[in-house]
Amino acid sequence: MAILKVGILSCSGEECLGGTISRLATRKVLEEMKMVDTVTLCLPLYNAGGKEERNFASVFPTISVDGCDKLCAKRSTEKYSGRINGSIDVSKIIGNENALNTKIIRNNDLKEEHYRMVDEVAGEIVKAISDLEPNSYAGKTFRGCGCGD
Amino acid sequence: MQMSNKVKVIPCSGIGKVFGLVAREAALKTVVELCPEKAETVCLAYIVTGDEEVKAKMKDSGCITVDGCPKMCASKNVSLAGGIVVDEIKVLDTVKDHKGKKFGSPTELSDDGYLVVEEIAARIETRINEIA
Ligand code: SF4
Ligand code: SF4
Repeated sequence: MAILKVGILSCSGEECLGGTISRLATRKVLEEMKMVDTVTLCLPLYNAGGKEERNFASVFPTISVDGCDKLCAKRSTEKYSGRINGSIDVSKIIGNENALNTKIIRNNDLKEEHYRMVDEVAGEIVKAISDLEPNSYAGKTFRGCGCGD
Repeated sequence: MQMSNKVKVIPCSGIGKVFGLVAREAALKTVVELCPEKAETVCLAYIVTGDEEVKAKMKDSGCITVDGCPKMCASKNVSLAGGIVVDEIKVLDTVKDHKGKKFGSPTELSDDGYLVVEEIAARIETRINEIA
């Protein structure tokens, strides 16, 4: 049976809570999702990277996760790989006021309510994965730096 | 649009490595807690979009980059975007002094991970005070 592998690229934005939630929700899916093999790449490596890194989204069906409606991860992926299979705008899920909060960004500042937001966004990423065309992830390999392999 | 002349502290926030999170938390400690009047951060992923707003923000700005591994993504991307990198902080330089410790994961740092964060943030603060 072909291994199902899905790429998730998070903006991990540093200026606001939405970026932190995008990063943590992506991490949660990478760590906890069992049905499908998930893989990520540091977005800055993708952006600064060579052909191999930029090939990421053509090799894996890829979902972008962005903290706000500037959609930086989605736009970069489209720019370098030409397509995206699904995209999440965290601000649409947790609301603009929460996403654009510039006071609570560090992991240590997060409260229970913020972890609930992480869970909610992770749930939306899982939904986006389950919406992927099943034939989009068969038998492909990628040799770029997965930054964490 | 009014441009800020605060020093920009920009981490790589690498999502696959614990040191990416160390870089992120150290940079954020500096801009949120240690020197909010003199320093700020700008989303690295936004910088690389090349949008006019962020291009103007980065143009001729003094930046301190913080990177989690030798690929130096923050430094490279900031330079490509026209920012002036006045200091490149490498998390691994600080980690060398903490051999054998466990720093946590790319999701959550351990107490030792936060110790490294404190050290790097203090170093960034010193640099900011020298240049701003
Ligand atoms: S999408 Fe928003 S939060 Fe994410 S990097 Fe871009 S500006 Fe920052
Ligand atoms: S410098 Fe290393 S840890 Fe940081 S984003 Fe690049 S590849 Fe990832």
